[in-house]
Amino acid sequence: MTAGSWLCLLAPLGGTILILLCGTRIPRVAAAWIATTSVFVAFGGAIWAFLGVRSTTGHVGELTTAWTWLQSGNFHAGLQLLVDPLSTVMMLIVSGVGGLIVLYSIGYMDGDDEERRYFAYIAFFVFSMLLLVEGGNLLMLLAGWGLVGLSSYLLIGFWHDRPSAVRAAKKAFVMNAFGDATMALAFFILIAHTSSLSFATDFNVHLSSTATNLIALGLLGGAAAKSAQIPLQTWLPDAMEGPTPVSALIHAATMVTAGVYLIARTHPIFEQARTVELIAAGTGALTLLVAGLVALVQTDIKRVIAYSTMSQIGYMFLGAGVGAYSAGMFHLVTHAFFKALLFMTAGLAIHALAGEQDIRKMRGLGRVMPFTKWCFLAGALALVGVPPFSGFFSKDSIVASAAALGTWYGWIFWVCGIAGALLTGLYTFRLWFLVFGAGSAAGKAGDARPGTGSPTAIPGGEPSPFVREHYHRHGRFEGPLTMLVPVGVLAVLATVGGWLQWAPKWHPFTNWLAPAAQTLAAAEPTSTQEYYTSAATVIAGLAGIGLAWAIYSERKLAIPAAPFWRRLLEHKFYFDELYDALFYRPGVSIANGLRREFEEPVVLQTSADIGEVTMETGSLVRRIQTGLLRTYVLFLAGGAAAVVLAFLIAK
Amino acid sequence: MAGPDVAWYVATAAVLFGIGALGVLIRRNTLVVLLSLELMLNAGNLALIALSRHWHNGAGQIFALAVMAVAASEVCVGLGLVVALNRRNLSLDVDTLSELKG
Amino acid sequence: MSGVVVASAGNALVWVVWVVAAFSCVGSAVAVISFSNPFFSALALIGNLGSLAVMYLLLSAEFVAAAQVLVYAGAVVVMFLFVIAYVGPRRETPWSGGPSWQTFGAVLAAGALLVEIVVAVGMQASGSLKHDGHVGATFGTPSWIGRVFLVDHLLAFEITSVVLLIAAVGGVILGSHTKRATV
Repeated sequence: MTAGSWLCLLAPLGGTILILLCGTRIPRVAAAWIATTSVFVAFGGAIWAFLGVRSTTGHVGELTTAWTWLQSGNFHAGLQLLVDPLSTVMMLIVSGVGGLIVLYSIGYMDGDDEERRYFAYIAFFVFSMLLLVEGGNLLMLLAGWGLVGLSSYLLIGFWHDRPSAVRAAKKAFVMNAFGDATMALAFFILIAHTSSLSFATDFNVHLSSTATNLIALGLLGGAAAKSAQIPLQTWLPDAMEGPTPVSALIHAATMVTAGVYLIARTHPIFEQARTVELIAAGTGALTLLVAGLVALVQTDIKRVIAYSTMSQIGYMFLGAGVGAYSAGMFHLVTHAFFKALLFMTAGLAIHALAGEQDIRKMRGLGRVMPFTKWCFLAGALALVGVPPFSGFFSKDSIVASAAALGTWYGWIFWVCGIAGALLTGLYTFRLWFLVFGAGSAAGKAGDARPGTGSPTAIPGGEPSPFVREHYHRHGRFEGPLTMLVPVGVLAVLATVGGWLQWAPKWHPFTNWLAPAAQTLAAAEPTSTQEYYTSAATVIAGLAGIGLAWAIYSERKLAIPAAPFWRRLLEHKFYFDELYDALFYRPGVSIANGLRREFEEPVVLQTSADIGEVTMETGSLVRRIQTGLLRTYVLFLAGGAAAVVLAFLIAK
Repeated sequence: MAGPDVAWYVATAAVLFGIGALGVLIRRNTLVVLLSLELMLNAGNLALIALSRHWHNGAGQIFALAVMAVAASEVCVGLGLVVALNRRNLSLDVDTLSELKG
Repeated sequence: MSGVVVASAGNALVWVVWVVAAFSCVGSAVAVISFSNPFFSALALIGNLGSLAVMYLLLSAEFVAAAQVLVYAGAVVVMFLFVIAYVGPRRETPWSGGPSWQTFGAVLAAGALLVEIVVAVGMQASGSLKHDGHVGATFGTPSWIGRVFLVDHLLAFEITSVVLLIAAVGGVILGSHTKRATV
């Protein structure tokens, strides 16, 4: 199984290197297929590793060390891979969903001038993410962490002649750097106390409570930055400047879930710092509400889905924070399916409309793109958590775990979860009805048939003038096959993927993860709690769908004016403005001040002065060069006198 | 016979040498520079002879004779240069050779 | 430099001769570098050479003294006078021209050399440069010089003759008319 993990890790790296070496000698599509093949090979390796872990007794997992490169006193760190249930789940998701997305991008990025660069970057990203999840010690995890940050930066700013993309890339990188710094500090404390970063270490000993709290806080900072939770969430919507497959892979399925993985992986530390763990849960609860609210007013189709991602990761943080690690991880898995699906169908729409992303212009697209419409619907229903779609099984476990805590904050989390489900239904189906919907309000035909949330045969939904003008088809299908096939596969997975586990009755997933991340007893919900929670979330979700139908499809309800709230939501709760005032403006003014006071007068002046002094010295010395023979003889005589003097003194 | 110690002669030679050096450094006329050079050479000769007398070593006087011969040769060549310069109507002023001025 | 002077008539004579010779030597040297007319400088050099010859005689170097007068005063200075007469009158003030620090530096350098030599000799040979007195009767005679020159220092003799030859050839070439027009 360790061979499988090595294969999984190194195949995408090999793909990247191969693309780099071949350069422009290979056709662009060859680079695309190299990347895709390498990621699918990685998937094969992941399956191999998975089967290997499955075959061991107790599924404990194995640690494999390539070499030790850092040795200082008692502290060793090396290239270690850990193959255990938790890492194999992540490996399968990253390489599997990643492979589908890379396949999709063959069609999406076709025709771009810099296609090879894109595929090199994306294969590199898959490698980095696999390094992150396979790392056997925190140092390897940090290496992967940093590399995914780098890949994210490179891919967000892929179209580097767009200033907005470059700004977004910088923003993402800088905010992640903050998280990296807190994580590094946590590692320092950990090394200081335990001289080890390896996951095989028993972190229970040698740690005082302050140290544990600090370490957990540092890790939480890193996780919040990477997973775009409050207060470090502002980079994720801007990251939608990258190509849609990038958004699907990095900012939905994999990188942003790294924070959840981190908490699950280092859960011994978090369990010792229970307060910090609950802070993580609280952060998740807060984020899921805030993101859900902001998503209600977004007009860019990718931003709606981005805020939805933020919200769903809030759920995962909630689950992992209360101690239900397998519930959080299960939601991670299903989320990867349906969120990637949503992004990719949005990408199909964007691609068909030659780059337009404003949903107000996309009205009536469902008429001309039925396949996209139905796949999006599958993803949307999974997102809202309607049974039997996958989201239902995973989201409800999380909310039920909050109830299982029994404490006052547990109930608050529970209420947040239910409210979040309502919001999810509302914004998701707002999107669906506006873009793909066939409601009477969306079309010229006036026959309004009152229906439920699933419009099927209503002959409305005329395409908007924009759609009529800009929509173009690729031959027979709505897009190239390389784009349609992954979408179809993911639609199937989004539908049936949740059937892996239904917490009250049948939980192979939790059992699988138990050796690596045992759910806390305090967070184990009873069957009763599971049932009523499920009922509550489903009702809330359907209520959201119904509201959306009423407002956006049938125009029965008007949106309340509430200018204050509307402004607040449109400005995303003013986080960007706050950070601008807190960090950017002072930073810029300090930099300008330093430049004015220090750099220009002192530094630049010094280098200018050195030049001037040299030249002046030179012109002074030049006066010795009189050109006269007599002068030179004078120097001779003077030198002779000096030499004799030296000899005399030496005597 | 008695008389001034050899040291006096050597001191005289030193003074002569200094005056000759001063002349080389001060004067601009090539001919006078050559004359000052002669002074310096003669100063050296004087020192040689004096010390040869002191140590009863004939080599000093031999050396002085050789110096005289060399001085004569050098004057011959130097004056040949002066004559050549003059024939081409070039200036005899040492300061005109200033193409190395920086 | 001993303060003990043997008081005898011969001694006083030697001292007087020495003082006269030394002062005229130095004085004529100053004259050489001071006259603005090079002709007078060359004439002053003759005086210098003469006084030097006297000092050589005091030092029992008769042959060298004679050679000094014959070669230097007789040949070298005559050459100088010929050339000075040939190139014509050029007057130039001794202390002028050049950068401002040239004169000052020259005095300093020359003075430094002078003082250093005196000090060096004084330190090195303090007390050991007393006048010795007795030398052999043949010391400084031509026959003695000839024997020493041609037996002990034959190589120097030969090299000196070669140098003279080269100088003679060089002088002729430098002084000859060139066939084609130059600068």
